[in-house]
Amino acid sequence: MQHTAHSTQHTVSGRFPLESLAAEAQAILAKYEQRRAATLPLLRLIQERFGSITIEAEQWVAQQVGVAPSHVHEVVTFYSLFHQQPVGKHHIQICNNIACALRGASNHIAAISERLGIKPGETTPDGKYTLSTVECLCACEAAPMMQVNDRYVGPITPSTIETLLRSPESLTELPLMYQGTVGGVEPVISTRFATADAEKIDTYLRDEGYQAARKAVTEMTSDQVIAEVTKSNLRGLGGAGFPTGKKWSFIPKQSAKLKYLVVNADEGEPGTIKDRYIITKDPHRLIEGIIIAAYATGCHKAYVYVRGEYAQSTRILQQAIDEARTYGFIGKRIFNIEYELEVVVHRGAGAYICGEETALLSSLEGGKGFPRLKPPFPAIEGLFGSPTVINNVETLACVPPILRKGGEWFSKLGFGKAGGTRLFSLSGHVKKPGLYEASQGVTLRQLIEAAGGVGDGRAIKAVIPGGISAKILRADEIDVRMDFDSLLAAGTMAGSAGIIVMDDTTCMLKALWYASKFFGHESCGQCSPCREGTGWIFKIVDRIMKGEGRPQDLDNLLGISQGMEGRTICVFADAAAWPVQSYIMKFRDEFEFHIREKRCNLSDHRPQTPDIRMAAIH
Amino acid sequence: MADATSKQITLTVDGKPITVPDGTTILQACEKAGSPVPFYCYHPGLSIAGNCRICLVEVANTPKLQIACYTRAAEGMVVNTTSDKTLSGRKDVLEFLLINHPLDCPVCDQAGECWLQDYYMQHGLYDPKFNETKNKKPKAVPLGPTVMLDAERCILCSRCVRFTDEITKTGEFGIFNRGDHSEIGLHPGTTLDNNYSGNVVDICPVGALTDRDFRFKCRVWYLGSTNSVCPGCSRGCNIQIHNNRERDLRPHIADGARVMRLKPRYNADVNQWWMCDTGRYGYKSIDENRLIAVQIKTDGTLRNSAWGEALDLVGGTLQRLQQGKQLDQVGVVLSSQLTNEDLYVAKRFFTTLGVTQVVFQRPKAGASDALLLQADRSPNAKGAQTLGITEGAQPLLEKAAKKQLRLLIVFTQDLTEIVGDAQLRGAANALEQLIFIGTNTNKTAELAHVVLPSTVYAEKDGTFTNFQGRVQRLNAALSPLGEARAEWEILSALATTLNLNLTFTDAPSIFTDLAKAEPAFQGLSYQIIGEQGAILHA
Repeated sequence: MQHTAHSTQHTVSGRFPLESLAAEAQAILAKYEQRRAATLPLLRLIQERFGSITIEAEQWVAQQVGVAPSHVHEVVTFYSLFHQQPVGKHHIQICNNIACALRGASNHIAAISERLGIKPGETTPDGKYTLSTVECLCACEAAPMMQVNDRYVGPITPSTIETLLRSPESLTELPLMYQGTVGGVEPVISTRFATADAEKIDTYLRDEGYQAARKAVTEMTSDQVIAEVTKSNLRGLGGAGFPTGKKWSFIPKQSAKLKYLVVNADEGEPGTIKDRYIITKDPHRLIEGIIIAAYATGCHKAYVYVRGEYAQSTRILQQAIDEARTYGFIGKRIFNIEYELEVVVHRGAGAYICGEETALLSSLEGGKGFPRLKPPFPAIEGLFGSPTVINNVETLACVPPILRKGGEWFSKLGFGKAGGTRLFSLSGHVKKPGLYEASQGVTLRQLIEAAGGVGDGRAIKAVIPGGISAKILRADEIDVRMDFDSLLAAGTMAGSAGIIVMDDTTCMLKALWYASKFFGHESCGQCSPCREGTGWIFKIVDRIMKGEGRPQDLDNLLGISQGMEGRTICVFADAAAWPVQSYIMKFRDEFEFHIREKRCNLSDHRPQTPDIRMAAIH
Repeated sequence: MADATSKQITLTVDGKPITVPDGTTILQACEKAGSPVPFYCYHPGLSIAGNCRICLVEVANTPKLQIACYTRAAEGMVVNTTSDKTLSGRKDVLEFLLINHPLDCPVCDQAGECWLQDYYMQHGLYDPKFNETKNKKPKAVPLGPTVMLDAERCILCSRCVRFTDEITKTGEFGIFNRGDHSEIGLHPGTTLDNNYSGNVVDICPVGALTDRDFRFKCRVWYLGSTNSVCPGCSRGCNIQIHNNRERDLRPHIADGARVMRLKPRYNADVNQWWMCDTGRYGYKSIDENRLIAVQIKTDGTLRNSAWGEALDLVGGTLQRLQQGKQLDQVGVVLSSQLTNEDLYVAKRFFTTLGVTQVVFQRPKAGASDALLLQADRSPNAKGAQTLGITEGAQPLLEKAAKKQLRLLIVFTQDLTEIVGDAQLRGAANALEQLIFIGTNTNKTAELAHVVLPSTVYAEKDGTFTNFQGRVQRLNAALSPLGEARAEWEILSALATTLNLNLTFTDAPSIFTDLAKAEPAFQGLSYQIIGEQGAILHA
């Protein structure tokens, strides 16, 4: 995103003293097996120190990591968190994705914009504020929310806006909204979410922490660990649902190269908040899961790729890793046996696509987040060309209890071929948005009811069951169970279990506008059908929103989405196509109304022109 | 990809069984089966990107279309390149590639050799659905001395990025931003100025990267193409000479110049797909500063003459020296720019005549690099050596300066490059006659008493032997300019004047003689040499 640089306050005039970073740069470079992997951290360091990344800084980074400057420039322009121009002292980044929009984000954007006298993308003349609208920050339970510099703030209220304008320093990190379990299941992942000081190692040790890891490492063979996890029917909870035990078994036992465990903490699927809760509230559980997974697969190095926006989570995780190291759970000889394990936290820089596992590897290696051609699969040639196992945060958080209580116990908590429980993120038009834990077999209706249902006098209109990529369900389809196979049979997917509920005040065209804006913004641009198709879809939907729809638009949208689906390196194009297909097929009359009448079926007035930087108000 | 000794597999392409080595891609197998699939991002000389998606093909029992460039052929695989599913996949991809393309073919220099145009005609022909505002990107951006960028025409295939990363390892290109704002470019403030820059124009399948030298000079459908060999260095990169074949009808094109551009031609053992800019833009000497008239110096000034008069003059001198048994006072400086045929005829002619002081001279050496360019800036030093001709004009020039030579015949080379202006002037003044036989004006020609115009490589049939000992064919792309004649032709005419009983009629028959007479060339013929050359005997 480009920022207008009205500000000079934070501009370091003249040459940036890049040499002053030499010692820190060396420390960063030392963490990685390949220099290039230090690209993102070095750029972050420069931006934190000097406010923006200049061409000169790119050249310096290029020299440090040993690539051509053009490739550093690629990285700087690819990720939304890197700035080539300085931003104001307080960078207000308001979420303008669907969950926040459903709860009135556009009004707040308009209000803040008016009060500051700047449009999104601009900086106040005094250099104090820069206003940006951003895609989902994965704090949908606190919608509408924003990020001010590193801090997550929400839900935004008139009083939040007053504080933002008067004393932005006093804004506080938004509270976690853990709402308990649903359907009477015993909590497995969220057991400690309500515990005081849960992120500290002493409370974790008190709560039987690290016993599973100790048992695995000192008493079990790696095969025994894998067998137990296989028995548990644990499925990948990042969204793909691949059986975890099977994934671990693909990692070659013998490898001339160092093997890697990569933890996917690049939570980004709109509607999903769960990994942030695990990292923030129970980081040692994740670390324990990492130790067990690394031991099971023979990895001696783990990288945790954390979403760049998750500043607080990163801090907490790093503290926890440092604690675990002091206790000898990480380091040269973990649990006093001959097994070395290093854990490095690596931050992303603002790109949804990096949640795709091979894009994540490309990003971790210091490039743009481009998904990779397969084969080879990461299990054979992943990070730095070595065998790599990639697991989601929540998946790994399930591992310690599995080893403590047994695979069979875990399996029985679930439903069908999906063992255990999982965390469900509920947002949108529900009374009690937040994070819930339930069995894989819970129904969507149970979850929505647990979240208090929609507002009084309102009815459910549609539900996104598994993050914005999932096909939408109508109100009459919510008795479906939430496990992977049941949702697949219902024509959609469990995905990341990010549930976004829409009541009957929701304009489906507007919902699609937000979805297609998101996919247009986040396509990495590598494959032509996705790069061009996502932008094309948004242009058409945007035009219909402006009251300029044409009769052939809906068929064209369906045709374009079909032309993208299954034709690209990764499934992002499919994910971008599914909302188009399902919203139009399930609510076609509403779309036709917009085109025919040139106005929304839910309001009398003509739609206002939506600006890509401004939320649609209509 | 696959080496020939590996396991063989058999698959079916469009109903036809085809056997290929294990490791072959579907794309390669389809090519072999005579069912070629379209591609943009794939280039056999670069790593596989798999991003353009136009090479999608249907593989039986695989739900999704597969990209042929990356997917390996497998035993028993059934590939369909013409099914409805395959064709509609292609059509969709093409439409995606064209939605933000400016469709400015009438003013685009790539028109006529554009893969978007070609594939649209072959695989597109859809009713366009796009009716939105196209994305705006930079146009007509000079990237450096030789390449112009139009980012709107770019299909982001990343060939140029991979070329500068993998082949030149200079890394100038990048693709910046993301999604449909992705844009090809250089690191801000830098230029594309490596000696292989021109290749990115060749590999750009669309009009995004065009050649600043060629741009708007000539529509490509007016171009004739002749296979030849670059004379720019001893590598002998295989090239095509592209000339204005309608020059008679369209003399306004490039002010009447004949050669419009050179393009590299694939040769696995010599230059693969590439050529350097030194060679690429060296073609201008074909049309510029040419010697086109026979000239004889009278009263210190070169005046136009005719072949008959000049041959009589030179022949007369030689005859006089022969009769006076003064042929030891004749020196001949051949050139490593001459073809094997020219050199062979020269060798035969001067041997028959009895002239023994025959050497060849290379031009001044230049820089070399690890990729193609050789320090020896002439194409045929190896050929001259193989024919047993001694190298180096210096001793002869020293002799001339000491008045130990009466006649010096210099071919092509500007000897002032070797010995400097003053020394050559001194030598020339000490000679009775300095005869220059060459293609272009230079200081040596200016000092000569007789100047005989000869043909450049583009006007010649013949062969060069590159530094690896590979004999490669030149084909005449152009008729000789003005009165220019091939060196062998000039010597043949001189032989007639001297009643030497040496007649040569054309390059092929000379080569036939040469191959019989010279052991290293034995068994070679134009047919065997073919388009890819043949190695000399050790």
